[in-house]
Amino acid sequence: METEMWKARSLEELVRILHRLFAEDKVSVEEVQALMESYESNPEEWLQYAKFDQYRYTRNLVDNGNGKFNLMILCWGEGHGSSIHDHTDSHCFMKILQGNLKETLFEWPEKKGNGEMTKKSERVLRENQCAYINDSIGLHRVENISHTESAVSLHLYSPPFDSCNTFDQRTGHKHKVKMTFYSQFGERTLCVSRRWHAVLQPLTERCHMWGWG
Amino acid sequence: MAAAEPGEPAVPEEDPEAEPEPELELSAELRSRRSAEARRLVLSPRRLSGPLPAGLSQWFPALELLDVSGTGLAELGGGLLALPRLHTLLAKNNRLGGPGSLPKGLGQAPLGRSLRVLNLSGNRFAELPPALLGLRGLQSLSLGGNRLHGIPPDIQELRSLEFLYLGGNFITSIPPELANLPSLSYLVLCDNKIQSIPPQLAQLHSLRSLSLHNNLLTYLPREILNLVHLEELSLRGNPLVVRFVRDLTYNPPSLQELAGRTIKTRNVPYAPSDLPENLVRYLSLASNCPNPKCGGVYFDSCVRQIKFVDFCGKYRIPLMHYLCSPECSSPCSSASQSSTSQSESDSEDEASVAARRMQKVLLG
Repeated sequence: METEMWKARSLEELVRILHRLFAEDKVSVEEVQALMESYESNPEEWLQYAKFDQYRYTRNLVDNGNGKFNLMILCWGEGHGSSIHDHTDSHCFMKILQGNLKETLFEWPEKKGNGEMTKKSERVLRENQCAYINDSIGLHRVENISHTESAVSLHLYSPPFDSCNTFDQRTGHKHKVKMTFYSQFGERTLCVSRRWHAVLQPLTERCHMWGWG
Repeated sequence: MAAAEPGEPAVPEEDPEAEPEPELELSAELRSRRSAEARRLVLSPRRLSGPLPAGLSQWFPALELLDVSGTGLAELGGGLLALPRLHTLLAKNNRLGGPGSLPKGLGQAPLGRSLRVLNLSGNRFAELPPALLGLRGLQSLSLGGNRLHGIPPDIQELRSLEFLYLGGNFITSIPPELANLPSLSYLVLCDNKIQSIPPQLAQLHSLRSLSLHNNLLTYLPREILNLVHLEELSLRGNPLVVRFVRDLTYNPPSLQELAGRTIKTRNVPYAPSDLPENLVRYLSLASNCPNPKCGGVYFDSCVRQIKFVDFCGKYRIPLMHYLCSPECSSPCSSASQSSTSQSESDSEDEASVAARRMQKVLLG
């Protein structure tokens, strides 16, 4: 059976094709990865989802894929990075929309591990590149190592999940965490524990960085 | 999009043999774009060899945001000084850093009073430019990706600072005066060469996020547990010690120290007129031994000890304690000294309570 290679000419088209692909019983990782990579990032199309936080990276839901997948945009300020984490038995696609992100792969720690986790490899992903990972491949840390540029990435997770494990690099100990959305469908989701978001005057710097309106 | 490389101006040349004069072109371009209402101005990438035009404040009097990133600027020039409404200046990825990069009289000018956000990342500053210290209203400062070797104590003059980004430099130590910034909530010191954190940093009560990854830290001061509002802390990429360490070089206290300790612990009354000024000052420098059973003080003679504290029940952070004598024990753990011991003790001690208050730690 031939695998069709789709070309998404806009973010909207990307979402439409994804819905079609995931309506089938079987979805090909290669097909999805090629589709994600085919979309040429156009900030005008995703700016409304790209909400930055000065303290850490944000997760902004774009589409919930009829329950089959979550499509979200992550915004990384300078120096922002994630913990080492797994993907709760789901597929994870990560496409760079702006800037660069460093991905460091790690081996799963030993069961009773009490030593430093083993780094497998690292690479810097460039604009429009799309990476793929799942738990059988390993664990990873993603970070924006730039001190001058912010980064934006488009993530697809299937099936959707809202919790995962984070790992301490020095010991391999894991810790389950719940993941939340900073915004959904372009609307900021406030939660009580981060009250101070509303109190602090938002720094306008980041949305002006690209020189848009 | 993201700040691009400095490039040639896009204006077609009429005489292919004439050298382009970027400053004249810029002046002409800005003069033709002048606007009394415009609040934002973003310059396209180019390669300037001189400062911004002097006419800037006349042509754009209402300017609130100016982005001159990626334009090759080696000095900003005085044209900015008279912009009374400018609150955001982005000058990333330029050639700033030499003397005269920032205009003289910055603190006293209208710009000095209005500026809230200043981004000088990706330049060539080897030291924090003194001209900056006059910006009393500055809330956000970035000098990421420069060539800083240190932070001047005078940084405490930036009284309004909330956001300070100094990642990606060559900083080796942090002055305790940094702790005198009352509103600091976001401090980024990652990717530097920092070997220790001054305990005074725990006085930054507003600190929400502290980024220390990729430095040369072997331990943290115990006082870091006092940062009760800290929600983000990154420590990966530091050679943090993993085994219990007891510093065996204990210098016995001097007679002056023993006398000082006695006066403090026995509450011997004294007035400033009773003692020479230097001894009054000496007595005021007493530090409390954290051992709850001791209640003593120490001056210069102390035992350094590294103990581990669990954060969130999972991560073990090495904290440095100063105890007044080898007989004292740290409040953090009364358990055994092996590296694999759990540091939960039977009774709540102040360190465990403080550690649990830290809501999120981004570690390793």
